[in-house]
Amino acid sequence: MRGPNRRAILRSAGGASVLASGLLAAPPILAQTKSAFAGTTINASCFQTTYFEYLKAYLPEFEQKTGIKVNFTMQAFPVYNQRTDLELSTRGSALDVCNVTFIYSGRWIGAGWLTSLDSFTKDPKLTPADWAPEDFAGGPQSAMQNAKGETFGFTWEAGAMILAAARYDLIEKQGLGLPRTFDELIKVCDAVHNKDNVAAFTADKLHHWNWIPYLMGVGGNVFKAPPENLTPTLDTPEAAQSAEWYANLLTKYGPDGILSYSDDQSMRSQMSGRANIRTQAITWMVPLAKHAESTVQKTVRYGLMPEGPKGNFPGSNSHGLGIPAGSRKKEAAWEFIKWALSKETVSMIVKNHGYPSVCRLSVINGPEFKQVLTLNGQDVASLFLEVLQLGGKTGYMKYRTVPVYPQVGDKINKAMERVATRQQAAPAAFKQAQTEALQDLQKAGIKVDL
Amino acid sequence: MVLALLALSPFLWLLLMSFKTNAEIFRFPPRLFFEATMANYGALWTSEFRNSFANSLIVSVVSTLLSLAIGVPAAYALSRWTSRGSGTITLWILASRMAPPIAFTIPYFLVYRHLELLDTLTGLIIIYLTFNLSLVIWMMRPFYDQLPRSLEEAAWIDGATLWQGFTRIILPLSGPGLAATAILCFLFAWNDFFFALILTRTEAMTAPVAVVNFMNYEGWEWGRIAAGGTMIMLPVLIFSFVVRRYLVHGLTGGALKG
Repeated sequence: MRGPNRRAILRSAGGASVLASGLLAAPPILAQTKSAFAGTTINASCFQTTYFEYLKAYLPEFEQKTGIKVNFTMQAFPVYNQRTDLELSTRGSALDVCNVTFIYSGRWIGAGWLTSLDSFTKDPKLTPADWAPEDFAGGPQSAMQNAKGETFGFTWEAGAMILAAARYDLIEKQGLGLPRTFDELIKVCDAVHNKDNVAAFTADKLHHWNWIPYLMGVGGNVFKAPPENLTPTLDTPEAAQSAEWYANLLTKYGPDGILSYSDDQSMRSQMSGRANIRTQAITWMVPLAKHAESTVQKTVRYGLMPEGPKGNFPGSNSHGLGIPAGSRKKEAAWEFIKWALSKETVSMIVKNHGYPSVCRLSVINGPEFKQVLTLNGQDVASLFLEVLQLGGKTGYMKYRTVPVYPQVGDKINKAMERVATRQQAAPAAFKQAQTEALQDLQKAGIKVDL
Repeated sequence: MVLALLALSPFLWLLLMSFKTNAEIFRFPPRLFFEATMANYGALWTSEFRNSFANSLIVSVVSTLLSLAIGVPAAYALSRWTSRGSGTITLWILASRMAPPIAFTIPYFLVYRHLELLDTLTGLIIIYLTFNLSLVIWMMRPFYDQLPRSLEEAAWIDGATLWQGFTRIILPLSGPGLAATAILCFLFAWNDFFFALILTRTEAMTAPVAVVNFMNYEGWEWGRIAAGGTMIMLPVLIFSFVVRRYLVHGLTGGALKG
């Protein structure tokens, strides 16, 4: 029998050394990931937002690392929701990663249109322990889970409702401070309205987001006990009283045209110094201090949402990334989510771009986030965290993630418009809203107490 | 004059906005005289809006031409066809217009996904063609009804074929009707938002959908929205201006039988 000749030995030794040098050059896990997904293309989609505008700049880094090519598209908020709702409802495979929009999360998760991510996070081969799913703040993350506690998305944005006074100097001049209760809010509005041609209060027409914290503050709610009991409670005395109060706040202290304001118009009314106080998610409040076009950078101050006699219920919401049930490239999609929402990536977006609404606790508690959200000497990061914790503790935001909320919310908006324009008294308007909401719920096959 | 100004005021407001900065747009009270900027138009040119605008032009022009090419001979044939079935067929041609567009959305979406026509210009052209065909046939048929048959018969006696009679005698006489029909078809395709929203993604996105994309989650780009809106209105205005001589005559021509 002939043994191996010299040429064969040299060839195999050379091959082995090339292989060894390759393995030594790249970390083993990365090499494995890259080879597993090389040549894979995934389609990801979200609505237009700065987080993903910033993230897109780092996509080549991810593509180089994993070999996965990402077609990332962004559309306007309503356009994205409309298209994705249709795509998910028909179990399409056009998307591998999608944004799980807060108001649709209950509908999309409840209908089984998204993939449970637990199988990915619980498999150490797919998710290293230091990725830490528990690092995502509980309040925002609860919108991404079903009743059994399964997770269908990880959050990239948390909206926490706070109060911002664009012209705090006017409030100070009257010897007052930021309002901490509903009564104080009226008192401050009375004192500063139309001083220096600035309206005391502003809001947008999305009443089903803006008004509900005020409704809850006086003991009202939208549903009896969401998500279990979705019987609407819009015809209660608390709802009528609160609606009357809120409509008065808008019409008496708001700028002209406030009832038709979009969220952007409302933000612009503060930025241009036409309106003073607003209660809204932090995303729309930070530009008052940071946007180049803001005329109130030096005078804006931030505080917690005012408290009602029954407590403080600032709105909080969240948007996450999930994998559609119809996706055929789920593991590659998970690689993308893991990277997009890793501690390192989130931290980098905060550090390099000053993004203010992240959900990873380790980042929120870090010095960079504190620095980004120290506005006019105020520690707004703490306010942000406080609101997120409030929302997570009692789960009072559950009303907003039920599948039928878009329809019920529409009835609330219309009822509030009727009250504010004096077309109907608050009890009648909200009784009508209750009847219409009940019809919608019954049409959707939801059991209600009658 | 006052009425014309009133009717034009939203357009003029949009036009003015398109030359303002965001800060100027939100200035209160607004100023009539301000330092105009072309930045919003410049931004459109460098963004994806440019492709969307080209997509809009392609789908609108091609679907209009195809609708006319198929619909006009069909209208002529239905006009000259004396059978009892003619009325029934004409009625059924209207079927695509009998339900609101939303009723067709899911079926179209599913079929298009199956045929891989989603996010393609061909897909949009087919949709607009199906909707515009009924419009062309219903608008053009009354025109041909009022044209005396003796004109074609004279041509036939002189040796013209049926097709020559149609193209050389009838078609030139229906110029105003063709212009009015063409502009309505173009307008339908050009202004459509709903089907473009549902059936496109990025490649075949049209201008009306692209304008909505300036409404970002954290803030709207008002200047670009105004500039985009103005750009969308421009071809319609130019087209209407070019064919205005025929338009009124065309829109009323088929309404009277003489």
